[in-house]
Parts: sequence; C-alpha cells; structure tokens
Amino acid sequence: MIEIPKRSEVIKKQKDEGKLIAAVFPIHYPKELLRAFNIHPVEVWGPPLVDTKTGNAHLQPYICSIVKCGLSFLLDEAIGTVDMVLVPHGCDSLQGLGSLLLDFIKPEKPVMVFYPPREKRSCDVGFLEKEIKRLYHQLCQLTGYSPDEERLLKEIEKEEALEESLLKLYENRKEVTLSSLEFYRLIRAREYLDADTLMNLLKSVPQKKQTPLTNSKPVILSGIVPEPMDILEKIDEMGAYVAADDFASCRRRVYGKGESRNPFTRMAERILNGPPDSTKGSSFDERIAFIESLIRRCSAKAVIFHNIKFCETEEFYHPILKRALKEMGVKTVEVEVDLNERMPQQALTRINALIESIE
Amino acid sequence: MKRLFVGIDAGSTAVKVVVIDSEKRVLYTLIEDTKPFIEEQTGSILKAIREKFSGCEFFVTATGYGAQLVKEADKRVTEISCHARGAFFATGKKGTVIDIGGQDSKVIVVGNDGQVLDFVMNDKCAAGTGRFLENIAWRLKLSFKEMEELALSSREEVSISSTCAVFAESEVISMLAKGIELKKIVKGIHRALVKRITAMLYSVSFFPPLILSGGVARNRAVQKMIEEETGEKIIVPENPQITGALGAALSGL
Repeated sequence: MIEIPKRSEVIKKQKDEGKLIAAVFPIHYPKELLRAFNIHPVEVWGPPLVDTKTGNAHLQPYICSIVKCGLSFLLDEAIGTVDMVLVPHGCDSLQGLGSLLLDFIKPEKPVMVFYPPREKRSCDVGFLEKEIKRLYHQLCQLTGYSPDEERLLKEIEKEEALEESLLKLYENRKEVTLSSLEFYRLIRAREYLDADTLMNLLKSVPQKKQTPLTNSKPVILSGIVPEPMDILEKIDEMGAYVAADDFASCRRRVYGKGESRNPFTRMAERILNGPPDSTKGSSFDERIAFIESLIRRCSAKAVIFHNIKFCETEEFYHPILKRALKEMGVKTVEVEVDLNERMPQQALTRINALIESIE
Repeated sequence: MKRLFVGIDAGSTAVKVVVIDSEKRVLYTLIEDTKPFIEEQTGSILKAIREKFSGCEFFVTATGYGAQLVKEADKRVTEISCHARGAFFATGKKGTVIDIGGQDSKVIVVGNDGQVLDFVMNDKCAAGTGRFLENIAWRLKLSFKEMEELALSSREEVSISSTCAVFAESEVISMLAKGIELKKIVKGIHRALVKRITAMLYSVSFFPPLILSGGVARNRAVQKMIEEETGEKIIVPENPQITGALGAALSGL
C-alpha cells in the first residue's frame, strides 16, 4: 500500500512554502506554466457526492455532474482556500462555467480561462502557443513575477520526466502489485501533487507481483474520469483488472515530450501531440488506433465505456468506437454514471456480464 | 453423496429456484413473490430444499438483483449469463433471448454453446419492463390474464408513449376520461412495451430465433406483437420464468 498524501495536507504544505494555490478545472492546461510561477495547481474533477444546491442554482439540469459538483464545491468550500481559478475550455459546459464565473458569479478570487484548440493542424500549435503566452502574461500581472525561459523549460522537463515514469508504470501494469483502485489512486494523485513528490511515490511502487494478476482478465476503461472510484474495486472483485485506460483525466494527459527549445511552443506541442481525446476534437481513426494500441499492449478483450451522464463530447464517439472494436473482436459495454450518485447496481451487472463473457 | 445444483434467481418481483442433478435433470422448481427480506426468504427456501433432498450435497448459484443477499451462495453469476445459458439449454438453440423482467429487460445474443455474444439492457426506466404492465394493470383493476385477453381481442389500438412509464400512465388516465374503449388502450399499452423491446433488439446484431424468457414471456399478446414488429418467429421455453434460475443451476455444474 503506497501512502499518498491527502489533498488537504498537500495544499497546506504548499501554502506554508509560500506557493499560491490554483483550483483548475478539467482537462488540458500547461501545468508546468503554473508551476514556473510558484503556483500549485489542484484540479477539480467534481468531487463526487457533494451537495449541488449552489451549482444547480446557476446551471441547467443537463449540465454534467463534473461541472455541477465542481462549481458547488468551489463556491461552497474551496474558494476561501485557493488564490485563483483556472477554467480550460474542455467542452461547452466548462466554457459555460468559465463565463458564469467571470461574468455573473464573480467570486472574490481571480478567474482565468484557457482555450486549447479543437484540432491539431500546424496553425493550432501557433494558436495554442499564443494562448499559453496570454495566460503567461495574465499570471505575470497576477503574481508580479516573470519566470524566464530557463525556469519554464526546467518545469517542462520535470513534467516530461514524470510522464515518462507514468508511461513506464502503465506499460508495466501487469507487473505492478497494486489493485486497480490503488493503481488509479496513484495515477490520479497527479491532480494535486507536484511532479517531484509524485516521482518519489512512483519509485516506491512494488514491481514484483505478490498476488499475480495473470489469473484476472485484463480490461480497458475509457471515459473522462474514473468516478465513483468503487468501480475499480468492483472490477477486481469480478475477476478482472484495469490493464489500461483511455481516461481524459489519466492516460490521455500523459502527453510525452515536446521538441522545441522555445518553452511556449513546447508546451503547445505537448498538449497537442498527446493521446487523442474527445475534447481535443481528435478523429475517430486516431482514437480507434490509440485504443487498439492499448488493447495490443495488454491483451485486453473488453473495453468498458464509462460515461459521465450528459457528456455529449465523449458520447459522440461511442457508436463508431464500439463498432470498430467489435470488428476487432473486442467486446464493449457502456455504463453511464453521475458523480453525485453511488455506482448503480445495474451498471455493475452490465460490467460483470461483460467480464463473464470474455475468456 | 449425491450432488445437486441449485440455481436461485432473486428477481425484483419473484424468486425463482431450480434444482438439477449432475445429469442436468430438473428435480424441483419454485416460483414465489419476492419478499422485502430476500436474505431470510432465500435462506428459508434453501433450508426447505436441504430438508426435501436430505442426504445430498448442494452447490448453490445465485443470480438476479438480490444475488448478493443469497448468503449461502457458492457462486454468483449475472442474470445475463444465466438467461443465455438457461435459454440455450431449454431450447437447444442459439439465437436471441428477450428477457422481460420486473425491474429491467434484456436482449442477449446467444452463441453456439450458450455463451453471451452481445447484450443490451434497459435498466433506467420502467417502460419496457414487466413493471410497466403491472402498474397499468393495477391502475385499470385488471389481472394480467384479462390484460392479455383484452389486447388479443382488440382490432384497433391507441398510440401510447413508449418512452416513459409515468407519462404512459397519465396518458391512460386521460384516455379513460375521454371514454376510449378499454381494449384499445390495453392493446396500445402492449404495443408501447413491445416497441421499447424491439428498439433494444435492433441495437444489437441479433439473429433468430427469438427466445422469450421471464414472466411476461407467457403473455400471448406480447409474443404476437414481437412477431409482428420483427417478422421473426418467437420461441417460448416450457417454463420461461425459471430460465435464469435454470441457467444459474447449470452454471454450478
């Protein structure tokens, strides 16, 4: 069992060290840019099971629970703790959240928005680079500090090194002595830990199996965020394990190295050249090829599409992804979850039936 | 010591039990309404079975939404796998199982040896489940048999919402208030249920024959309408309500 520091402890420690805390909404943003400003990003993916009264007062009923829980949590609890809020444009609901915060709610802390492009053409690298520069200048104004290129590159390299380790961890998943729940607690610790702390934790991951996973059936999870996290425990109990993932919050943010020595270009390259993602407007072919590569690596025979209710961005891809996987002989099932509800038994029955049906 | 295999399907409306021997011969079946305390109910059922077949060794497989509450279960299998296995055993055919249960309905594509090839479930709305017919029967003060007879006797039918059980019930009330003939409404109710089921059927790559399981499978109006909607012949096992429990018992072998 790896001891992962708690979010509240991390925030306190970072504050004690004089760092500013940024509440960051999903999905893609240049984490290294914030770190270069001595800003510690803490991501807001919900959290699950919060009272959404405040969020409901501002949002339409068809807005997903990530945004609804996130807004409620921010206004009811987090706003007093954080120094700023960053809302990347991950989807229409998140863009709406950014506008709401800026134009209507106007919380007492500064709110910044960030617009990653929807495609991956060469002009998109240029656009994203400009967008990162805009955010850089906004942060300069806010903090009174202007990190130089060397500092930016240092933070970029830290993130790249961390991602290299994360990738290794993913590739050795079968050899790692962690349950699916423990594995994803560790992966998701990136949402609030700095690169150095997480790197140290990764070094402590036991690599030799005590309880072999070879008897369990490897499955892949695809979606936005693995919540409620009990799903991971349940999958293990059903005789399977999560051998790889295509989650926007996890594997899709292991971007890989950029090439440029210009830090702004490199940050843009990293985000754009990372794994395909619905919120980046990736093509069906790219997404199919990526999932296929995961399947090949871990010999999975099934993919579970774990969809957050009302997440149309993600759902749009499912019919074609499912059809393509079926043609490859890979079984699929789709379950819909709401962050504010316990994992429904019916969804677990579907997953269990899928696991029973694979050899 | 003789070994017997017990399958318990703890469903939302009924608990179904099948006991088979190692030769797959059915020795005992039981269907009773689900009580609020499934753990106690299934405990008493198993106690009675142990007494009835004293001197035998038992392997218990539980399925259904209450499977976790069958404390004496040696194994738990989903109702999807159980219905596939049970239907394949009962009919000796691969094909597509349509199980209309009390809480959910399922379409399961079954392969050559009874394995699940694909499945789809309706588990979010009572429309398309046995509960839908049950609610309307209660509202109209009719038995299931009367509902079935009325649906079969009517040439005409009214169109009723197939997307929401609550709205459908409101529609029925307003139709009654307008004086629309009861049998037309009842036939429309059956059609709404069947349309929901056939929509599920077309969302998987199904192949014939269509095998009906679950309590609603006995309803001839439902059988007839599924045949009308799909153009495929329906097969109903001799005792469709115990298909899941039979599959569970077979899973223990």
